[in-house]
This record gives sequence, C-alpha cells and structure tokens, in this order.
Amino acid sequence: MPIPQQFGRGDRMGRGPYEKSGIIEDNGLPPNKRVEERFEVPFPMKEVDGGRQPSVYELDVQVKLWYLPFGTMDTSPHLWREFSTTVAVSKQGK
Amino acid sequence: MRRLQSGKLTALLILALFAGTAQAGPAGIGQRDTIAAKAGKARTIAELAAMYDSSSCVDCHQDAHDQWAASPHARPLFGTGRTAATFRTAITNGLMAWPYSGVKVPKDVKVEHLMGCAKCHLPQLADATDAVASELAVSLFAWADAVGSGDDAVREREEKKLLSLNINCLVCHNRNAIVHKWTDGYPQKGVVYGSHDGPHDSAGFPKLARSPIMSESILCGQCHGLGPNLELDNPTQCGTGYGSYLWAYRAEGGRETCQDCHMRKSKLGHKILSYSDPAMIKAALDFEADAEGMYWRDGTKVSARAVVRVAMTNRSGHSIPDG
Repeated sequence: MPIPQQFGRGDRMGRGPYEKSGIIEDNGLPPNKRVEERFEVPFPMKEVDGGRQPSVYELDVQVKLWYLPFGTMDTSPHLWREFSTTVAVSKQGK
Repeated sequence: MRRLQSGKLTALLILALFAGTAQAGPAGIGQRDTIAAKAGKARTIAELAAMYDSSSCVDCHQDAHDQWAASPHARPLFGTGRTAATFRTAITNGLMAWPYSGVKVPKDVKVEHLMGCAKCHLPQLADATDAVASELAVSLFAWADAVGSGDDAVREREEKKLLSLNINCLVCHNRNAIVHKWTDGYPQKGVVYGSHDGPHDSAGFPKLARSPIMSESILCGQCHGLGPNLELDNPTQCGTGYGSYLWAYRAEGGRETCQDCHMRKSKLGHKILSYSDPAMIKAALDFEADAEGMYWRDGTKVSARAVVRVAMTNRSGHSIPDG
C-alpha cells in the first residue's frame, strides 16, 4: 500500500487521514507489473551420528494471500488466494 | 493646485469603487442556478439531506437504487461504524489537539475543519453553514458515547442522522457531474446528468443532460484521491487511488476507466465494490505459486528447506492495496 508520510515530513508513517500527507514508499503491487517473492521454509533437523538429517522428509506448504483493509488480521481480513502442496526432500545422499 | 489634487483624489476613489465592484461575486456563469445556490446554504443536517434528496429516483430506478444501497457510497459518514469512529478520532486526535485549529470542543467544528474528510465523504457539506458541521461533530460524539454506554436509543437516533447524508444519485448525477464548469457549464437544478440529453419523466428533475465525464475516471477521481489535499489550510490524505491510476496505470499504458472495472465488467453496476467482492478479487490479480525441496550445505552443516516462489501480477488500474 502507499505508506503515508506523517504531515509530509520525516520518516514516520501517518496514521489516521488527518495526519497523512505524501507517501514514504508504496510497497503494494503496481498495476500490470509482475512481482515475485521467494520464501525459504526450513525443515526441522536432528543431530545424528555423522551430522544432521531432517526429522521429517515431507512438509505441507500452504500459501495464503490476504487483503487486510485495516492492516491486521483482527479486522475484516479477506482471503484472496491460496495454494497448497507437499514438498519432499530426498532420504539418501551426502 | 489644491483643487487639482482634490479632483485627482476623487477620481482615484471612484476608480477604486468600480474596481472593487468588478471583483465582487463568483467567477463563472451559471453558478446561481445550481441546487445549492437556489436553496441557499443548509443550516441543519436535515436541510442538507433534503437539499440532495434522491428518494424520487427510486420510483423508476429501483435496481440502481438497490445496488447503490449496498455500496459504501450509501453510508460514507458511518460505514460499518469504523468510519464514524475515524471521523471522531480526526476531531479528538486532530482538530482538538492542534494548537491553531480553533477547535476546543466538538461544537467548535466548522465546515472548513471537516472538509479534510468531507471533501470525499460528503462533498455537499460545502453547501452547508458551519452550524451543520457543528451539528455533525456533536452527533458523532453523541453516537460514540452512546455506543460506549450502551444507550441504544441515542445510538440509533444518531446513526439515523449520520446515515441520512450520503453520496447519492444527485451527488454524482448532478452536483459532481461536471468538473470543468467554465467549459461545460455549472450543474443546474432540475437536471439529471447522464449519458444523453432529453426530457426526463420527473416533476423535480424534468430534464436530462449529458455529462461529458459520466464514464470517465475523473468523475470518481474527484473523491478517490490524488494525495494530500493541498488546497486546505491543514491538508489531509485518505485514498490515493486516482493518483495511482494516473501515474502508475495510465502513464504506463493502461486504458480502462474506473467504471469499466468497478461497474461494467464486474457487473456490479452501482454497487461499486472492490476488495471484498469475489468478481473484483478474481479480476484484480494473477497469482502463481510453486514449491520444491532442497538441501543447503554450508560447509559441513546441512539444512533441508522448502523453497516457495510466488508471482503476482496486479491486473487492476491502480496499486493494490489502494483506494
């Protein structure tokens, strides 16, 4: 979203329309531009003789895209998209 | 010499008198025939509501009315309650806290104080006296106090008052239907502005006239935000959607209008919704995601991880989120 600047000065976000003037930055999705995000989710690991290995070899991954009109999940969140898959890693190898 | 100086002084005084007379009165032709000019400034909330009373439109335009009634335009001062609460916060944390505003208590609030919000939430407030602004501020506080104390009778009374003022048919189809008034004329009392000229089967509004901007984004842009309202003595800023539309969408080759997406393609008509509507949500965004597992090796330390990639393309006419 366009992060509003407080009274058009400094590095603080304005909160409430009465103190917003200008923007600090817009961290929203610009129109007609592809935006890519990359996330790394660690598998739980355990120590074994000779090193470490995953505690589990499959993870259920769920991606949910929420629209938060008031900035938090506490007030009127809207689920826009979701994606689920199971990610597996190999059990053999060095 | 003295007679000459006296004559020169008289001539200067006469010139000043005429110059002053020439500068008096509003610029432009036709201002006196608007709804507001004919009625005179509203002195109460009830008078302002009556000035822009669109109830007669329902007889023939039931569908459009029902769509509109389900939209945020029908409750711009109140919203779900949060908007009214924010108005109140703007008064307490803003106007009453600022040392140079002139507002110590809610009844001190004038039209000029509220235009930071009302410019968009109730543009017709500009056609009211300061007594209406004061009444609005008092009503907002009375509503909030009644919510806090559980006084349902007062809460309902004040909600009814706040809900009586809205962005209704006459705001878009008359008052705000013309943006360039010196070019296209001031919106006239008794005229409904839309897509074409002609007679209109209504006693109060017997004439139809074409608004050149009824299907243009600038109609919506009057309220839906360019950034700080720098024309105000203490600028405010709420939505910046129109600014985003101009500079992030149109400037980059986008060609659709607000009405194209929010009314026609979505089939919402006058319901005009955005982030909460399934059709708008679907149209707004292309979304792809995938994930794969891998082992990261950092020297002798091994870590397994899931790498998740998400790609999103905003297909709307403005930054998301924005408004």
